Amino acid sequence: MIDPGKALILFGITAAVLTVLFIPKYGLFAQWKRARHGMNRALVEDALKHIYDYEYKNINCTTESIAGVLLISTDESAELLTRLSAMGLLITNDNGVKLTADGNSYALRIIRVHRLWERYLADETSVPPTEWHSSAELAEHTLSPAETETLAAQIGNPNFDPHGDPIPTPTGEMPPRKGHSLLSLKSGEFAIITHIEDEPEAVFAQLIAQGLYVGMQVRMIDRSNERVRFAADGEEIVLAPLLTNNLTVAPITEEEQRITAPLDSLASLKIGEEAHVLSISKAMRGQQRRRLMDLGVVPGTTIRAEMKSASGDPTAYAIRGATVALRRQHAAMIFIRK
Amino acid sequence: MKKGLKKEQSTTTASSKESILSSANTLRWEIGEHVHDSLIESIYADANQIASRAVTLPAGKPRFDFDKKLDTLITSRWFGFPLMFLLLAFVFWLTVEGANIPSALIASLLVDTIHPWLRSVFVLIGSPWWLTGVLVDGVWLAMAWVISVMLPPMAIFFPLFTLLEDFGYLPRGAFNMDSLFRRAGAHGKQSLSMTMGFGCNAAGVVATRIIDSPRERLIAIITNNFSLCNGRWPTQILIASIFFGTLAPPALAGFITAGAVVGVATLGIFFTLVVSWGLSRTLLKGEASSFSLELPPYRPPQLWQTLYTSLIDRTAIVLWRAIVFAAPAGAVIWLVSNIHIGTMSIAEHFINLSNPFGILLGLNGVIIIAYIIAIPANEIVIPTVLMMTVLSTKLSGIGSGAGVMFELNEATAVADVLRAGGWTMLTGLNLMLFSLLHNPCSTTIYTIYKETKSVKWTALATIIPTIMGIVICFLVAQIYRLLFV
Amino acid sequence: MQNHHKFTEGEEINSMSQTPNENCDDCPVHNLGNLTKLGINMSQFDFVVALAGNPNTGKSTVFNALTGLRQHTGNWPGKTVTRAEGGFVYGNKRFKLVDLPGTYSLLSTSTDEEVARDFILFGQPDVTVIVVDATRLERNLNLVLQVLEITDRAVVCLNLMDEAQRHNIKVDTRRLAKDLGVPVVAAAARQEEGIPELLKNVYDVASGAYLCRPHRLERTAPRLEKAISVLSGKIKKEFPLLPNTRWIALRLLDGDQKIIDAVKSGELGNLSAKSAAIRAARETTK
Repeated sequence: MIDPGKALILFGITAAVLTVLFIPKYGLFAQWKRARHGMNRALVEDALKHIYDYEYKNINCTTESIAGVLLISTDESAELLTRLSAMGLLITNDNGVKLTADGNSYALRIIRVHRLWERYLADETSVPPTEWHSSAELAEHTLSPAETETLAAQIGNPNFDPHGDPIPTPTGEMPPRKGHSLLSLKSGEFAIITHIEDEPEAVFAQLIAQGLYVGMQVRMIDRSNERVRFAADGEEIVLAPLLTNNLTVAPITEEEQRITAPLDSLASLKIGEEAHVLSISKAMRGQQRRRLMDLGVVPGTTIRAEMKSASGDPTAYAIRGATVALRRQHAAMIFIRK
Repeated sequence: MKKGLKKEQSTTTASSKESILSSANTLRWEIGEHVHDSLIESIYADANQIASRAVTLPAGKPRFDFDKKLDTLITSRWFGFPLMFLLLAFVFWLTVEGANIPSALIASLLVDTIHPWLRSVFVLIGSPWWLTGVLVDGVWLAMAWVISVMLPPMAIFFPLFTLLEDFGYLPRGAFNMDSLFRRAGAHGKQSLSMTMGFGCNAAGVVATRIIDSPRERLIAIITNNFSLCNGRWPTQILIASIFFGTLAPPALAGFITAGAVVGVATLGIFFTLVVSWGLSRTLLKGEASSFSLELPPYRPPQLWQTLYTSLIDRTAIVLWRAIVFAAPAGAVIWLVSNIHIGTMSIAEHFINLSNPFGILLGLNGVIIIAYIIAIPANEIVIPTVLMMTVLSTKLSGIGSGAGVMFELNEATAVADVLRAGGWTMLTGLNLMLFSLLHNPCSTTIYTIYKETKSVKWTALATIIPTIMGIVICFLVAQIYRLLFV
Repeated sequence: MQNHHKFTEGEEINSMSQTPNENCDDCPVHNLGNLTKLGINMSQFDFVVALAGNPNTGKSTVFNALTGLRQHTGNWPGKTVTRAEGGFVYGNKRFKLVDLPGTYSLLSTSTDEEVARDFILFGQPDVTVIVVDATRLERNLNLVLQVLEITDRAVVCLNLMDEAQRHNIKVDTRRLAKDLGVPVVAAAARQEEGIPELLKNVYDVASGAYLCRPHRLERTAPRLEKAISVLSGKIKKEFPLLPNTRWIALRLLDGDQKIIDAVKSGELGNLSAKSAAIRAARETTK
């Protein structure tokens, strides 16, 4: 019989090796998968996407900017550009580079996959927002056109991604860019967040952590060089001006301004109290949102808190004659007027 | 009439259809993405208007008083959980106690009366010894065991459970349990499919249909096997009474035994939550997740309808599947014990071969082979273990020969056989752990496949508990040996 | 419970020349004696009836009462996962009854809802019976209104009237029927109450003796109104016989792939033609 001490040590070593190999994100297997992503096709496609993005935003694209975004040397970047123009995807001129029609439609195809995938993750899975982008970076190079269209059909052919960016159609149509920076708002002006840029990741994570989401109503309070103060869904938020560059807003009409004071959420309703639903936060997405609306939670619905579970959460609410239990995290995304 | 209609359709041209779709697309850019929301809003606006015209609600209190009082009690902070545990304990007690007598009756009928009779009939009509062996000693006995162990508890447990369901208690149970399961990334309704799993894992897997969110449903399916099903309860009770009950003075033996079994079952619930937590954060991250739980009004249950449907829908179907799977297993058990290669049967060869691995896990070769052959039904593990132990240790005077499964009425007699087979306290402990943590029975595996329609999730549900069982038995064995040997 | 008589007095069906129980030899007499439960034996049938409803409304009880089968009933959504079918004979006609999964809606993307929606839209049942919980009418109307957008041959079975009575809730079925434009039958299926009336109304709608004028959504958000009218105009031009163009337009605007495919393949034209033909056939028989 094997000595139990040795057996345990052997087991420990095996477990450690397996962990190093397969642990998500940091394991060798995960690194290998990421490294493979950096290969030819991905590089070409990422470059096209970057150039397209800059053209869309009217910024000049250079060898250096490509090298910076793709994390490659300027030499490699120059070589890449030569290859792209040899493939007929772009032309080089004095100011930098420009996509040909072929290059343009290729780039749009990649963007379509990327944004569809992000929307899919947001609506149909429980992948956290900070991982949407990196997952889509992988998916955009692996999904075939047929798979892409199946995916689109499956999730109801969405036309905006969860950051508020339009998703190009299969034929490569995309509406012109709308909206402007949050900083352009005057004090007291209302607007709605139409886009939250997901790069750089650290900034995006910070904005998400503040509870900001596309479709949120904001009102500028005041701003200085050090900080920007604004109300989002009635709640005051302070950000560094640098961070607000990642937020795009669009003005809204007066009648659409529903929120002036901080909003109460359903989670704040006490047992026995009654309230009217004002809106459901846009941060509640996908199946959860649809199910909730199917059960009758729509603006105007009267809701009464009936009872709490023995463990305190969830809480049961009387909604349109039925008794429905909601978890606190979801109730917190339903805004009410008491 | 239908044929004439086809023509009208052909007048539609492809280009005009395309124009509908493309203009829909353009319009979608303009209106944004609130179509679904505004649609439901306007439907409910109409619904509200229509309902308010047609319905006269009672003046005053909106909900029935009795219902409300019952709800307050059932979901109360102080009484909610104790009430639930009492109710469950009562259901389990009724199941275990009530099943004892019919189980013994069925066993004595099928095993002690019909089996010898069948045997003599086969001998009388001159069937060759091997055919008699395969069919009567193998197939018939395996089926007999599955039926006598499985049928009575299921016939009691399922109707009781269905009555609670029809009355409306179960959704409240899920409501109370949700916060525990939410922390594990699962749905409160999983507490119900888990409880159902204590009756039968296959039925527990089917019961996950009540969970309408894909991710939470998969979690519930994959972890259902951690509920100790009624095919495993007898094993747990027997082994616990032999190896743990005897540690204490006789007066406390029953108490210690029960404690050990409840401990293993609780460990199962713990693994359910831990594995749910792990799955929801790794493999199942990519599945959709949502939560909604409607609490239906209380309704008086319909006794006969419930008895009928739970007997037909659950008990009979599950039993039938188990029989179908157990029959071939019986044949295999008989064959491997009776086909000889050289001087030893296949079973003995395999036992010798797997013994070192078994010992490493604190088990032995007999247990390994018993668990491999008894994949179809946990009920036949103990009879197989007993028969194979006698076979491999060449004990005489016990059992009825190679390949004939048997059970002994006295736990002490079983203990003698097992100790003769070299069992120690460690073997007993690890058998209890392995009985909790191993692949689901083939009925359950098949059910998982039917419910998920996915080889991947079925394989995962099979492999996860097996690997956990091997690893945990291994660790327990090494630590036990370090400390006590 | 003689609610169906009340509908025959309603203004929209005044054009009907006869009330079924007088001067009509082969009209089904209004009792259960005329019902033959066929179980699952339904090799040939004259009409297909779909059974829709929210979870937990006693849909399976209605199914069982009509077919003599014993579908499992329970307090849970998703009990009827596979589509159950059964049959019965009533008034010399053979009916096939298809039990759809219990759903809250037909718009979300769950499999259950797709199965139910596809059967009502593309399966073209002759009648869709919507089982409704009388104690939770408003919530249940969500599904009813959605079904009425899709089909114009439906009967609402207002089930659990016994529960409603226990809770002191009164429902004016006549008013409801008028607002919905389809027959509404009060029932307590567990006691088999209202089943004869339900059968009679199913028969009337299937045979064309009763012509539904289902409620259609008029008010939608002003933001959508322009898009809907533009699109439904185009659809009307393309499929002139389609009764529910506004609905189709809405589904296209929501990106519903099944509808997009149906437009592409021309199946929509097929559907519209069939429902128009049925309507025409029924109008001429009267």
